[in-house]
Amino acid sequence: MPVQKPDIGRLVDEQAKAIGLPIAPQYRDKVILNYQRSLAIAQPLLDVELDDALTPGPVFRP
Amino acid sequence: MNDPLSKQASASDVARAVMSGKVKATAVVEAALTRIETSEPAINAFTDVVGDRARRRAAEIDSGRHRGPLVGVPFAVKNLFDIKGLPTRAGSKINLDGPIAARDASLVRKLEAAGAILVGGLNMGEYAYDFTGENAHYGASCNPRDTTRMTGGSSGGSGAAVAAGEVPLALGSDTNGSIRVPASLCGVFGLKPTYGRLSRAGSYPFVDAFDHLGPLARSVEDLALAFDAMQGWDPDDPVCTDRDAEPTLPELGEGIGGLRIAVAGDYFERGADSVAHDAVERVAKALRATKRIVIPEAAAARSAAYVITAIEGSQLHLPRLRTRPQDFDPDTRERFMAGALLPGAWYVKAQRFRRRYRAAVQKLFEEVDVILAPATPCTAPRLGQVMMKLGGVEMPVRAHLGLYTQPISFVGLPVVVAPLQKPDGLPIGVQIIANHYKEAAALRVARHLEKEGVASAPAE
Repeated sequence: MPVQKPDIGRLVDEQAKAIGLPIAPQYRDKVILNYQRSLAIAQPLLDVELDDALTPGPVFRP
Repeated sequence: MNDPLSKQASASDVARAVMSGKVKATAVVEAALTRIETSEPAINAFTDVVGDRARRRAAEIDSGRHRGPLVGVPFAVKNLFDIKGLPTRAGSKINLDGPIAARDASLVRKLEAAGAILVGGLNMGEYAYDFTGENAHYGASCNPRDTTRMTGGSSGGSGAAVAAGEVPLALGSDTNGSIRVPASLCGVFGLKPTYGRLSRAGSYPFVDAFDHLGPLARSVEDLALAFDAMQGWDPDDPVCTDRDAEPTLPELGEGIGGLRIAVAGDYFERGADSVAHDAVERVAKALRATKRIVIPEAAAARSAAYVITAIEGSQLHLPRLRTRPQDFDPDTRERFMAGALLPGAWYVKAQRFRRRYRAAVQKLFEEVDVILAPATPCTAPRLGQVMMKLGGVEMPVRAHLGLYTQPISFVGLPVVVAPLQKPDGLPIGVQIIANHYKEAAALRVARHLEKEGVASAPAE
């Protein structure tokens, strides 16, 4: 089944309400643009498959 | 040795001259303050100059009260470091209403304990969420090589102050590339140490998972001097390592013998101007490095670093995004707002992936000791430039200047940026990447390039 593209404008509006972040109308378009850019930049990570056994370390040690 | 009162003087030139009594620390400080006054109208690297404090400190040094390997060396710090008596701006307007620092940041105290003299706080991108060096509140820091161009950021003032010769040594922070990008675009040496190697106590945070502090300087010896003076466990930073300090200065002269050096291929060979790849090739040739290795999943690593940065940074600022959005820099505000809305599942996935990537990178260091990669995909863009073309693709400047630095800091590897100068052109840097806690290896390689005349700070 093809994955439907999200409605980023609606997602931004509803998510902002959920976390109590007022976004004034003059900022909204740029927030949407930046969310879209984030989706694109995050894609290589989202495409990665991870084993269930791979947990994040509670303390990161280099 | 350069004249210790000149803008070409390195930190070690100054320290040697003060130590031997050839010059007074008060004269060094006066010369630095004069240079700052002269350069600032064009460079805009400083937001705070602490002249009285510096003069008092210099007088104490001249009366024999302080000694150390950096004696008499003027230095300045990105304005996210606490400076006693000042608000810690972190590039913002909002923080001016915050607390006044009750004491200096840990690394400022360590450098002063080594004899150095703080002369001021430096301009930076707001809350360090920046690769350009631009700032709506305090103006952009300008690239000394061409003041119509970016310094890179977010430690833009740190790169500019050293490149302009205002001070021989500056401190910056690097979360995704914020020391390495300005070092490359301004043409100075920079060191981003291993994650947790230097204390971050008394510095304003951005992304705890990736925040590093480190020096920018005119020579590799100066990086080593400063790094050695700042090492050591600090209980005030929970991430700071309790490993014993390992001085790097004694190893600097060892050359590159015994070091296995390779060039990063694949991801790091795509999507940059030819000038960035040519710089890596020039360095590889000078080091006789013919091996190529692939850092696996570097694109996903960059992606994961972006996600963690956006979510952690935005969460930090969420209270102020709710109450004072109008007081943010317009170039950070909506990015922070968007970051606050990203799914938490992405964050957890990025942290889980980080563990796999770290293991893969560690494996590479069984085959090599040092990896070379571009520091930036291009030379300094013009101030105000929003988009740039890389590899034929149009992309936003702001997000993509850190294309090659993000996959490295993602797992906290130490990196020295070696700057390559062009007589009639703009400088560009190369990343010299070593395994965790092997700063000495990266510094030795950079020192070799400096001795061979391949890498250097600006001559003028």
